Amino acid sequence: MGLTMNEFTVQFIATLLKFAVIAGLCINIPPIMVWAERRVPAFMQRRKGPNRVGIFKWRLYGLLQSAADAVKLIFKEEVVPEGAAKAFYHIAPVFSVFPAIMVAMAIPYGPDIQLFGYTIPLSVIRVDVGFLFIFAISSLAVYGVTIAGWASNNKYSLLGALRASAQMISYEIPLGMSLIPIVLLYGSLDLNTIVIAQSQIWKWGVVLSPISFCLFVIAMFAETNRAPFDLAEAEGELVAGFHTEYTSAKFAAFFLAEYVSMFVLSCLAATVFFGGWQIPFFDIRSLDVLIGIPGVSGLVGFGVLFVKAAFFMWLYVWVRWTIPRFRYDQLMSLGWKFMIPIGLLNVVVTAIVLAVIRF
Amino acid sequence: MFDLPLFLNSSLLSIGVFHFFAAMITIVSLLVVVSQHPVKSAVFLVVDLFLLAGLYASMDSHFIAAIQILVYAGAIVVLFLFVIMLLNLKADSIKGLRFSAPEAAALLISFIGFLIMTFNVFRGQAPEGIKGGFSIEAIDANGGNTYMVAMRLLTTYIWPFELASMLILLAIVAAIVIAKKDKILKSLIQKELR
Repeated sequence: MGLTMNEFTVQFIATLLKFAVIAGLCINIPPIMVWAERRVPAFMQRRKGPNRVGIFKWRLYGLLQSAADAVKLIFKEEVVPEGAAKAFYHIAPVFSVFPAIMVAMAIPYGPDIQLFGYTIPLSVIRVDVGFLFIFAISSLAVYGVTIAGWASNNKYSLLGALRASAQMISYEIPLGMSLIPIVLLYGSLDLNTIVIAQSQIWKWGVVLSPISFCLFVIAMFAETNRAPFDLAEAEGELVAGFHTEYTSAKFAAFFLAEYVSMFVLSCLAATVFFGGWQIPFFDIRSLDVLIGIPGVSGLVGFGVLFVKAAFFMWLYVWVRWTIPRFRYDQLMSLGWKFMIPIGLLNVVVTAIVLAVIRF
Repeated sequence: MFDLPLFLNSSLLSIGVFHFFAAMITIVSLLVVVSQHPVKSAVFLVVDLFLLAGLYASMDSHFIAAIQILVYAGAIVVLFLFVIMLLNLKADSIKGLRFSAPEAAALLISFIGFLIMTFNVFRGQAPEGIKGGFSIEAIDANGGNTYMVAMRLLTTYIWPFELASMLILLAIVAAIVIAKKDKILKSLIQKELR
């Protein structure tokens, strides 16, 4: 081949490809999760759930119901409420979807792979402050909700938006605080370094810092506005919260943002507390040499991370159908009076213990 | 067979990225000031801060970029937006361009400053800045940006850092006192009466 490529060109093309793959994955998460969200409670409540839609005689356990719903959502009539602030009304879904998908780019989906003599990292954006990047971008998700609620010119929307943004801002603090001990333990802000450090089961974040894990899981539910913290869309009080006035594809966009941010937080939980793409007692990176196909370790690592993340996605659905919704004052006092003090204490104790051990 | 386009090399691309961000920042900053609606201004401010972070990131200062978004775009402007929405501020009605004497003077002075700066920039002789010890290579050799910032902040500048945090604590206490003014006053009066 007379193909000459410099290192930069290879990385550039690889980044574009990785971006396309991850964005495609993110867009396909909601239909699958909607299907799970119908089948899992059906299983828990001993009924059947959707099982009819299929191609000819293959019903695929009703998996195509989601596809039908997606098509329906996109082709529905679009209604813009009178008196809405038009520009903001139209831009709000973008503000919601953009941070969700961008955060997904920073997760390390697998070990660095060697292809054609180049080292290609398996995360789209590889920065040495991966943690901060994730928190920075996901803190922008508040804008989509706030602007949507305000621009709809509807009091239920506005109330839902205020609730949601107060909740998201409040729970960002314990979410960040629960991860500080992890940063202290592994001594890095780079997610890939943290994954590599968790090569054995007794080096996993959940073993070394179980309190962090509990705080993270609670804050994770609140941060994505999911049951039991779904006060932003409490249908008995607020119709549907901030997206009451949204129809058709714009509603689908909010839906997409919610499920993608669930997926990202699940991946983050798996990465930080359950060893990410590593499995205990075996180094996945040695697979390339063992099997002899370059890049196979990346695929296996991706699969391992995906299975771990799938557990947390299942947990989301499980909890939603198990625990009833909180009251608003309970939510706030749980966040500010319980989780933040525990989180602070956790940071201090971890720091002292580490200082004593390393002394 | 075929060569990949030569323009794909890192230095040229980074110059392109810089110019893109610079142009966007200029436009969006103008929009922040010019917009009639306060909510529009706030949203443009978020976009502006985000682009600024992009500029930092293109200069390999990822730590500053992340902190910029986290603190300014993620926290402070949210509060701006809250206040604007809760007060339900309406767009200014256009009164026509009429300036008072001080406003006109300020405009004139800043315009002259702008002219001088533009002239200096396009004259092709950028003023030579004083270079400190913190070059990209030196920072990378000493453990990276985050490490360097942490070491400076928690050793050399520990007292100013702690003082700043005390100042913020003071502000929080003051805010609570102002918010609960009536209750505190009542309890004080009751104590006096007893």
